[in-house]
This record gives sequence, C-alpha cells and structure tokens, in this order.
Amino acid sequence: MKYETVIGLEVHIEMATESKIFCSCSAKFGAEQNEHVCPACCGMPGMLPVVNRHVVDLGMNAGMMLNCHINRTTTFDKKSYYYPDLPSSYQTTQWFAPVAVNGTVTIETANGKKDIRIKQIHMEEDAGKLVHDDWTDTTLVDFNRTSVPLIEIVSQPDLSSAEEVVAYLERLRSLLRFAKVSECRMEQGSMRCDVNLSVRPEGSDKLGVRTEMKNMNSLSAIVRAIEYETARHIDALENGTEELVQETRRWDDIKGKSFAMRNKETAGDYRYFPDPNVMPVVIDDAWYDSIKASLPEFPEVKRARYIDAYGLSEYDADMLTQSRALCDCFEAAYAECKNAKEAANWLISDCMNILNKSQKTADQLTLDGKALGELILLVLDGKVGRGNAKKILIAMFDEKLDPAKYAEEQGFIVSNDTGAIEAIVKTVVAADPKSVADYKNGKEKALMALFGKCMRELKGNCDPQVLQKLLKDTIDSL
Amino acid sequence: MQKETLNRLQKLNQLRLTDAEETNVLSFFAAREEEMNILNSIDTETVERMVHVMPIETVVREDKVIKSFTREQLQAGAPETTDGYWQVPRLVE
Repeated sequence: MKYETVIGLEVHIEMATESKIFCSCSAKFGAEQNEHVCPACCGMPGMLPVVNRHVVDLGMNAGMMLNCHINRTTTFDKKSYYYPDLPSSYQTTQWFAPVAVNGTVTIETANGKKDIRIKQIHMEEDAGKLVHDDWTDTTLVDFNRTSVPLIEIVSQPDLSSAEEVVAYLERLRSLLRFAKVSECRMEQGSMRCDVNLSVRPEGSDKLGVRTEMKNMNSLSAIVRAIEYETARHIDALENGTEELVQETRRWDDIKGKSFAMRNKETAGDYRYFPDPNVMPVVIDDAWYDSIKASLPEFPEVKRARYIDAYGLSEYDADMLTQSRALCDCFEAAYAECKNAKEAANWLISDCMNILNKSQKTADQLTLDGKALGELILLVLDGKVGRGNAKKILIAMFDEKLDPAKYAEEQGFIVSNDTGAIEAIVKTVVAADPKSVADYKNGKEKALMALFGKCMRELKGNCDPQVLQKLLKDTIDSL
Repeated sequence: MQKETLNRLQKLNQLRLTDAEETNVLSFFAAREEEMNILNSIDTETVERMVHVMPIETVVREDKVIKSFTREQLQAGAPETTDGYWQVPRLVE
C-alpha cells in the first residue's frame, strides 16, 4: 500500500524587541544567568503585566506578511502548567482571539508551487531555561528568557514531505527577516519548530495517529526526524511493529532516533482561561494603517525589480535579496551613484568579505548606503583608486564618516599632476632596465610589474589609465 | 462532573481532596453544570463575543529597557541558589 505523510508545523519565533513582552527587562540573548529579571518575569505575587506595544506591532506585521486576517481586538489567556521554568505556573499566551488568523504562505519545491494555510499567529511569553546539574543532582533555573516575546505560527496540516517543510521554513524566515520581525536564527534558538506528523493510506481523508516532535532547531535535524518518523509510522501500520499512540517525542539527532517523552496533552489539560490581568488589546485604524504602510516589498518582487529596472544579473539579485539590510543599503547606494552593477558588486564582494571576517551575517550590516554610493562615485570619477577605496570602506564599517573628507585626510585623492606622475615613471623605468627590455621583447607581464611599482610609489593615488599611458609612452620613447 | 474528571483535575492542579471535599465539589459542579446548560441553550449566534466584563482596553508601554531589581535582591528570599541560578530539586532522571 502507498502512504502519504501529513505534517503541520508550530513555529516559535523570538521577536526582535529590546524589552520583554510584559515587563521592561532586556530581551537580549547571552547575558549572565538571571541578569535580565524583575519581580514580574519571576512570577512574584502581585505583579501585573504591561503589554509592550512593539510586540503587537511585530505580531501584526508577521500576520500581514503571511496574508492573515488581523483580529482588531486581540486578547491574552492563561495556559496552566507546572514546571520550574515557568515561575507563575501559567504561560500568558493567546487562545481565544489571537492577533492573526487564516493566512497563507506560498512555497516552491521541485514539484511546483503550493499554498500552505496558516491557522493562526499568536503572541506569547517564552519560558526560562533549566540546566540539569549532574554534579549536585539538582536543576538550576535561569529566568533571563522568561517573558521574552514570541510569536507562534501554527500551520494547517498541509505539508507532506521534508522538502516542503524546509521550503516552508525558509520562506517564513525570509519573509519575517524582511519585515524585521525576527532574525530567525535557528542556531541561537530564535526560531524553533514543533513537527506534528501522521501517516495515512494515499487518498484517504482520515488523519492517522499524530505524534509531535518538539523544539527542533536545525533544518538538517528536521529533515532526518521527518524521514525517521515517517518510516516508523509506516512500519507500525504495515507490520504491526508497535502501536502508534498520540504522544510527544524527543528527536535525538546523534542517535538518529525519536523517543517517547510523554502522552500528548490536549487543550483541556492546559485549562486556558482569559487572563484577567491583561485587558484586551484594541488595534485602532491609525495603528493598523501605520503597520500596513510599513510593510516591505516581498523579496521576490524586489528581485524581479532589480533584474528588470536595474539590469542586475539573476545571481546579483538573488544575493542581494537574501537580506533586507543588503537591499536597503543597495537601494540607498544606487540612489546616490546611479550605478546598480557597481553598488551590487561592492556589497556582494567587498562588504560581505568584511562581514564574514568579523563573523557577522548580511542582516547585521549597518553600513550607511548613501555613504557607500558616495564612495562608489569617488572611484567612478577617478578621484580615488580602487585599492584605497577598499581601505576607506573598511573604515566606514567602524565609524560613520564622509568618504570624500576621509579620502582627503588620508591622502587618498588621485593626483592630476601629470608632471609628478611622469617624474616617478621615469625614476621607476630607469631603475629597472630588465623589465623594460622584457616588455620591449613582447612580455606584457613586465609592463604590469613596472605599473605596480609606479602605483606603489604614488600610494595608489593615480588614475590607472593615465599611468598606463604615461608608462607606455615613456618606454616607447627610450 | 464525573469522578474521573475530578481526579484528572486534581492531578493537573496538584491537589489532593478528602472524600468529603470530593463529594462537596462534585455537587457544587453539578449545580454549575445545570446553570451552564441553561446558558448554552440560548442562541448567541448574532451576539458579539464579550472579551472583558468591562468595556476596557489595555494600556501599552514603549519598547524600552529599564533595569529595576538586581539579581541579589530578587534571590534574597530564595531557599537555595548556586552561581546566580535558582536551585530546585532535580527534574529529569
């Protein structure tokens, strides 16, 4: 018998905010344990939550990017469970009226395009972190992550393979990075995924027994887990190797196996009820419209525009549209220098090299695009040599500066004084008769060696074409 | 409410009721269930969902970091701490 896999995903994304969802503690990752805590996020009695407006901004933003309906009155609810990573013994989340519902995300795989329906997007607080200490046989609790704002994006069970899941997650990541909702870095845990999977005979409209694998945080692990789980379900159905039960399972990526953790809770077990401490969030027209107006162009629309309007190659357009920061910088640089190819080249090769060296991603680019455009103009107008322009670019990553002024201060302005250039050319030529002879005997490389020496003497401040002509003329006249 | 549901709720809420308390709770919920049945029999299809008993909406705050308490202040009343962590009995075998 042929089987098909039915997969629904719950994706948790940490939002790019400065502070937590219900208190003013920092939401930044990587601090010392329990440095970002206060009585509210520690669940101390009597503390009241106050909603961070920017969390609602980003919740709406995500909803609009995924074509959802935005609930203009959205409410928070309490989800009860007891565990030491949750100090108030309930998580404040959204159950009855989440911020966004009924969306779609279009994915593309080798089999073509497919729409994945989004059931809902809700805003909620993250839990703390537990460290199990084998030495003292105790568990240590860090509440820095408690109340860090999350959105959970719940899809309908419309996915049917690991390939589709990867395409879906990549699409979510791209859209949410573009909208600046989150950096979506799986390796830092700012994007985590629960995979709900069942298997049924092909063509059947009845869903099989569903298992859930929680907190998957790498695409390769997700692919392996889906393949393993699918095979396990089919084996159980075909050969009766085990009885499938609805449960939560843990994926062990090293062993390449999933293990039963606990019976799956049903919604009733969480005893959801409206949180009496958080009043309804009412999104008025002005608030809604301001978020709508701030939405970015979708990456594929930008890509097409870069190719059609700016004449960029597909490769350049693909590279730039991987990151909103690159696109913003490119557009600002283009507005200044009006040369798309140059702006793209400087960003894709030189800027990316500098970022890579400091182990940063394209999204962390903070270079001023207008200043990059000015630098490109200095090069195109022959005022600064390319080598020196690269030095200026490196300085521009460290501090905000005016490229023309900086070039002048550093002595990087190309000299127009042909007399001075000629004098240096004559000295270099006189000092290297062997290269001169080689060139005269047809060795083109020898001219380049002389050219390099002259450029060094001139500290790069010379129009290469002017230098080449003077050099050739000088040798020819010998 | 059935005894079975009550047992499940006791487990979820980490409660342990005496037999007398159980009898009380069951009869209390039986009466509430009857009231709920009356409410459920009313057609509310055209009534807008009430999100709060008062016509009130939340205030929001700006996304700004303000440090309020230190770790030491917050952990002053904790039974046990280690290296700035709260320490609790081992959770996972």
